[in-house]
Amino acid sequence: MNYIDLFSKWLATTPLSNIVSDSRWIVPASQVVHFFGLALLFGMAGMLDLRMLGLGKGIAIGEFSRRMIPWAGAGFLLNVITGFIMFAGSPFMFAHNRAFGFKMLFIAAAGLNVLFFYVTGTARKVEALGSRDDAPRSAKIIAGLSLFLWVGVMFWGRMLPFLGNSF
Amino acid sequence: MHFLEWIEQSGFSVWVRESGTFWSYPLIIFLHTMGLGFLVGPSIVICMRICGFAPAVSLGPMEKLYSVMWVGFWINVTSGIGMLMAEATTKMISPVFYIKLVFIATAVWMMHLLRKSVFRNLAELEMKSLPMTSRMMAGALLMCWAGAITAGRLMAYIGPGSTPR
Repeated sequence: MNYIDLFSKWLATTPLSNIVSDSRWIVPASQVVHFFGLALLFGMAGMLDLRMLGLGKGIAIGEFSRRMIPWAGAGFLLNVITGFIMFAGSPFMFAHNRAFGFKMLFIAAAGLNVLFFYVTGTARKVEALGSRDDAPRSAKIIAGLSLFLWVGVMFWGRMLPFLGNSF
Repeated sequence: MHFLEWIEQSGFSVWVRESGTFWSYPLIIFLHTMGLGFLVGPSIVICMRICGFAPAVSLGPMEKLYSVMWVGFWINVTSGIGMLMAEATTKMISPVFYIKLVFIATAVWMMHLLRKSVFRNLAELEMKSLPMTSRMMAGALLMCWAGAITAGRLMAYIGPGSTPR
């Protein structure tokens, strides 16, 4: 038995799991909030990506990056919480779903991409840019990857009920 | 045959609903989610800026995000019609669907009003802090998106023909 199965088995015995699976409205409500988080995360991060790629020249990219990225983080946090609630309601259904595995993989990759943005100093370069400036090539690569990965996260999330046999 | 039944039994609707291929319902519902991101995402950015977040980011150039929003909007009109046709007899009589539609219509109308009042008004654009009416409309627009997303997501759980997905 692997760690994911062990974790799922333990999670299924927790009160949280019972509360979620016994409730008729916790999952739908979590779905709603999960989509709010999606819009907030993709709105902030996706628009910064588009600006780094060259769309919307004139938008003060440096200031935008500094002020809006915390809101992308807030959207992500919202989705970690609501996602975990839904996972807890039926851990085995998710753990054995291929789409769920891919979704987690894409989130991890998107996270690494954000990490690269900061540790390579690209973020600092972008934050120093003015409204008419073009982003450096490294920022464009990270932006393109970010758009691809977050759309990919949406894709695998949306495939959860269709791929595999669990839903 | 009743009109809605006729739509639901059309070749296209049956294919979307029953073919079981990735290219039918799954792809359409994914496009609908992606379109949401491209429509509501930039709208949140603009509304938060109008409400006073990140005042150092000049508002004027954000008008360019309208083209992104329209791409998202038309992706969702098209994919939405596809899903609606596949389940016409249930979704077209679902009150939840009409609530969603009212929220979207109001949101798009307010997007248009904000473009006319804020973006076409140089004096307002250069203000660090926008007038109360503009801020309130931006806030109301955000509430409409929240309403549209809520109703849309709940169509899978409540109302006629709801199937969780």
